[in-house]
Amino acid sequence: MSTSISLSSEPKHTVAELEDLAYELREKLLYLCGTYEGAVHIGGDLSLADMLTALYHYGLNVDPDDISNPHRDRFILSKGHAAVCMYISMAMRGFFDFDDIVATYGQLGSAYGMHPCKVQLRGVEASTGSLGHGLPIAVGMAKSARQKGEKHRVFCVLGDGETGEGSVWEAAMAARSSQLGNLIAFVDRNHQLMTSFSEDRVVLEPYLGKWASFGWNVVSVDGHNMQDLVNIIDNLPSSDSTRPTVVICETIKGKGVDFMERNIAWHAGSLGAADLERAMAALESTRKVVSA
Amino acid sequence: MPVTFTFGEWLSARSVIGSTLAELGGEYDNLWTITPEIGATLGEFRALYPDRFLDVGIAEQVSIGVAAGLAYEGNIPVVSGMLPFLSMRALEQIRSDVCYPNLPVKIIGTHGGLVGNGGSTHYAVEDLALMCALTNMTVTSIADPLMAGDILRQSMKMSGPIYIRLGVGKSDMVLYEPGQHDIQIGKGIVARDGYDATIFTHGTTVAQALEAAETLGALGHSIRVIDMFTLKPIDADLIERCAKETGGRFVVLEDHLAYGGLASRIADVLVDRNINLTAFERLGIPQVYAGFGGDEELRDKYGYGLTSTISAIMRVLATK
Ligand SMILES: Cc1ncc(C[n+]2csc(CCOP(=O)(O)OP(=O)(O)O)c2C)c(N)n1
Repeated sequence: MSTSISLSSEPKHTVAELEDLAYELREKLLYLCGTYEGAVHIGGDLSLADMLTALYHYGLNVDPDDISNPHRDRFILSKGHAAVCMYISMAMRGFFDFDDIVATYGQLGSAYGMHPCKVQLRGVEASTGSLGHGLPIAVGMAKSARQKGEKHRVFCVLGDGETGEGSVWEAAMAARSSQLGNLIAFVDRNHQLMTSFSEDRVVLEPYLGKWASFGWNVVSVDGHNMQDLVNIIDNLPSSDSTRPTVVICETIKGKGVDFMERNIAWHAGSLGAADLERAMAALESTRKVVSA
Repeated sequence: MPVTFTFGEWLSARSVIGSTLAELGGEYDNLWTITPEIGATLGEFRALYPDRFLDVGIAEQVSIGVAAGLAYEGNIPVVSGMLPFLSMRALEQIRSDVCYPNLPVKIIGTHGGLVGNGGSTHYAVEDLALMCALTNMTVTSIADPLMAGDILRQSMKMSGPIYIRLGVGKSDMVLYEPGQHDIQIGKGIVARDGYDATIFTHGTTVAQALEAAETLGALGHSIRVIDMFTLKPIDADLIERCAKETGGRFVVLEDHLAYGGLASRIADVLVDRNINLTAFERLGIPQVYAGFGGDEELRDKYGYGLTSTISAIMRVLATK
């Protein structure tokens, strides 16, 4: 980080501030899920909320007013079905207007829809949604940075189920072969896929060992502990280093809303007005527990 | 003849497929179902025949490769998933592992066309072009949910692979009263008869074609609607007959790229058989990566909705 050029106009947030931001992100996610008539991938949005808050408000060196600055960190949401979590995180960071997202989400002609579209939405680094594409793209970006002598990092967020795709492991091998220490993957290890729990039909364990055996620097963290996420970000190896890093974030799908947590039915869904109130109340109760 | 067109009953093609597979699983002890983690449709089958069900995880290429292996061992595998990923991620497996050895693998899936509002990663819009290019592949696109079950059942007799395309498959209009139509793989269905012009279509746009024909019928035009649900092998004789019987006036309507799908297959027949038409219009997806919106909204936006269909028919009718 020391050698990279700082673009951020935001002061470094404290952990408490980041926790508040993550809470606000969850509120906004639920609001969208309660007001949009179609389904939102709310389970995998909520499991990402702390991670994306830590990245957008602490880790990523980006400037919403200068989105094509060559020195910016690149961010790719490989699990593209969590697009709304990225849109709202970016809105809270100053890229977009939240009200705009709510007003137009999923509508004809809107830039905001179920999966991120780089062509329609300025500031999105890659169009994703088909799983297993993000990491190879991230490798290309990291490789280009190396060749140009740029110091920024490339961040890529994947789902654990997504890593069933062979292309993820082909990219993992390519990243190690090219010694891309400027590449940082975050895996949302929520132990759920769309229709099943991991280890039930699809065995992912030994998960850390898989990445380690591909020669990556592997870090495991509680993906809902902001202090730990901040520590990880503070201690990332220099972007000149030779091993790509993967941060395995142990998370809970649906985190923050008791009836959604670890519930297959909430991979994607929509909350009516009544359930929105119930979900908000459930979220509110987690906050009381935390501050007590 | 056909015609009875009721905008009444709606059914989920997915649940029809699910219960048909469960039935077939009892009749054929070598029938397997495989899914790359999109297996909700297969719940019934899985409960009955857990030892012939396999969820390989989010790995489309593996789902097809495994199906090939099972087929080599004398099994009949049905792979169920989302078509944008099956038809493109696993294309080479479909071609080299399934079509090349001509194995009885059935690929059935949803999200054919601009449906489901997932954006361009989630729309299968070039799948029929890709599948029709593969030697040995039979290619179908199904509108009626009950028919989806029928076709699956018919395909049990086939010795080679088949591709079965559905829309979202959650709620589809029942178009054909059971027993009223002769529905056979390789034969087009005369969904509505008429003598002034023919609309050829398949899948999600059949209902729209029927509605357009009905609307024009009220104005005194007699429009034939052909549900060309089998794109390969194409029913060339029916195309030739329609050219003769409907004044050589054709409109092709499809939820697929306008070039490469049914319109192109029909154009091939016209050229190969030296059939001259009076007018030919194709309605389908232009060369764009479509954005978000409802199914009908997107069809309207890209020029193959109901209004565009009616206008296209009017134009071919006006051609001398
Ligand atoms: C190539 C591909 N196959 C299938 C899908 C459909 N799909 C969307 S989300 C999902 C489950 C993803 O599981 P995971 O990566 O663990 O994400 P999370 O549980 O965090 O939502 C599936 C199968 C897809 N988007 N892309």
